[in-house]
Amino acid sequence: MADLSKEDIQALGRAVGLDIQEPELTEVMYSLNALLESLDAINPPGLDEVEPLPIILPPA
Amino acid sequence: MDKSEIPFLSASALSGLIASREVSPVEATEAYLDRIDSLDFKFNAYLTVTRDMALAAAQEAEREIAAGNHRGPMHGVPVAVKDQFLSAGVRSTGGSRILGDYVPDEDATVIANLKQAGAVLLGKTNLTEFAITGFSHRYSTPRNPWDLNTYAGGSSSGSGAATGASLCATSLGEDTGGSIRFPATWCGLVGLRPTWGLVSRYGVMRGVWSMDTVGPISRTVEDAAITLGAIAGYDPKDPHTSASPVPDYRAALGQGIEGLRIGVVTEQMESDLVDADVRTVVERAITVLGELGASVDEISLPLSTVAGPVTGALLAVEPAGNHSNWVHERIDDYGHDDRILLLTGSVIPANYYHKAQKIRELIRRQVLDALSGYDALVFPTAGRGAQPVEDDPPVTSKETTSRLPFLFTRLFNLASCPAMSVPCGFDDRGMPVGLQIGGKPFSEETLFRIGNAYERATDWHTRRPAAVA
Repeated sequence: MADLSKEDIQALGRAVGLDIQEPELTEVMYSLNALLESLDAINPPGLDEVEPLPIILPPA
Repeated sequence: MDKSEIPFLSASALSGLIASREVSPVEATEAYLDRIDSLDFKFNAYLTVTRDMALAAAQEAEREIAAGNHRGPMHGVPVAVKDQFLSAGVRSTGGSRILGDYVPDEDATVIANLKQAGAVLLGKTNLTEFAITGFSHRYSTPRNPWDLNTYAGGSSSGSGAATGASLCATSLGEDTGGSIRFPATWCGLVGLRPTWGLVSRYGVMRGVWSMDTVGPISRTVEDAAITLGAIAGYDPKDPHTSASPVPDYRAALGQGIEGLRIGVVTEQMESDLVDADVRTVVERAITVLGELGASVDEISLPLSTVAGPVTGALLAVEPAGNHSNWVHERIDDYGHDDRILLLTGSVIPANYYHKAQKIRELIRRQVLDALSGYDALVFPTAGRGAQPVEDDPPVTSKETTSRLPFLFTRLFNLASCPAMSVPCGFDDRGMPVGLQIGGKPFSEETLFRIGNAYERATDWHTRRPAAVA
């Protein structure tokens, strides 16, 4: 995916009720793009089949 | 014994002297309070010192022990706890300005359990703001006892500094992505992240609900064992705690490790993020484990290399949700790193969070599959020793977004497994290096057994920083 622009970040912010302005805007843009780029690059075998189970339940 | 020497005892040794009435809890508590008064200005370990409450608890412990009612190994032992845990009648800031004057009326279960065990609470320790980032403090930054120009490691930075500087006998931290093991490795201490579900999270300010764990930061493995024994166990206030009985963790100590199978994770050992001097130190430590009779093999865990970004997504989204009201109404009251993290976490597309959770499950399967053939996995806790204290740097590119690329703790958080860092030597600058030992869920006894065997064969845990004397 192409990097998100500052306008994209502001639009995402508005969708959740946040008005993201400078000086945070640039830093949030870099942070979010780095995170999305990292996750885009991770596609291990089995990803489509696995359930997103977050924990191991402790024994009763 | 000279009172001024008491703070340098291990918690276990102090516990024995208290039980035999050679040292009184009041004497021990006064010795620690004296050190805090005279030295903590150098370390910035404590946010709040509970002097009067500590002395009252110590006097009560002394009366009970004199009457023949010794509660156990933590009775009368002075401890420090991270200010992420709510404490009745004591300011509980979470390291934030937002909660700077917050005084709860109830204890977190871990604090209640420590009190029930007879421990003496010296105070609340410093931490990164709300414990959701690694470096950024809203109060003064805790200094590393091994070099006051360097950072203690976070987020349980004050617990690391306090324990390393002998300003408490043992302490509690909280570990969502490595926040117990990170200060432990940089301060030359033992830090254990327990299995998720072993220790109650009731009254603990949240990070990532499925990864938050409370555990000990201590000067020896035995100290960590008795500290964990005091806080672990089922809590009806935390429905995710295990109902299994808590073992006597000290029973695992001294058994040796003959025949245990240990896997060395090559992706972490050979990572470019490990400095050469750190790698050499950890390799020597692993050699010692082999000499002690463990079977040591190199193994591959390919997904261990992606634990960082997966954790990064979870550690942005979930705190942003937890803090949603303040993010909308008080974002300027957060410090730099938290502000960027919380805003970023607020706008991550949901499909990426979903993907991160799915990758997490694959990582966990890979870790558990490896642990089906091994009793423990080992590699460096961090690839680099303690770094200089600095102001929060701005994010100026995609490449400068992570301040902790060299931290290798997250694999076990994602897998819900226990992991411990034990001191195993020093880098070329003379800063401590930690060996990380991870195991199956609820295998803390095995980790203590391995760590204790290593301690018996080496003397790293007995070294004392010059600034502490």
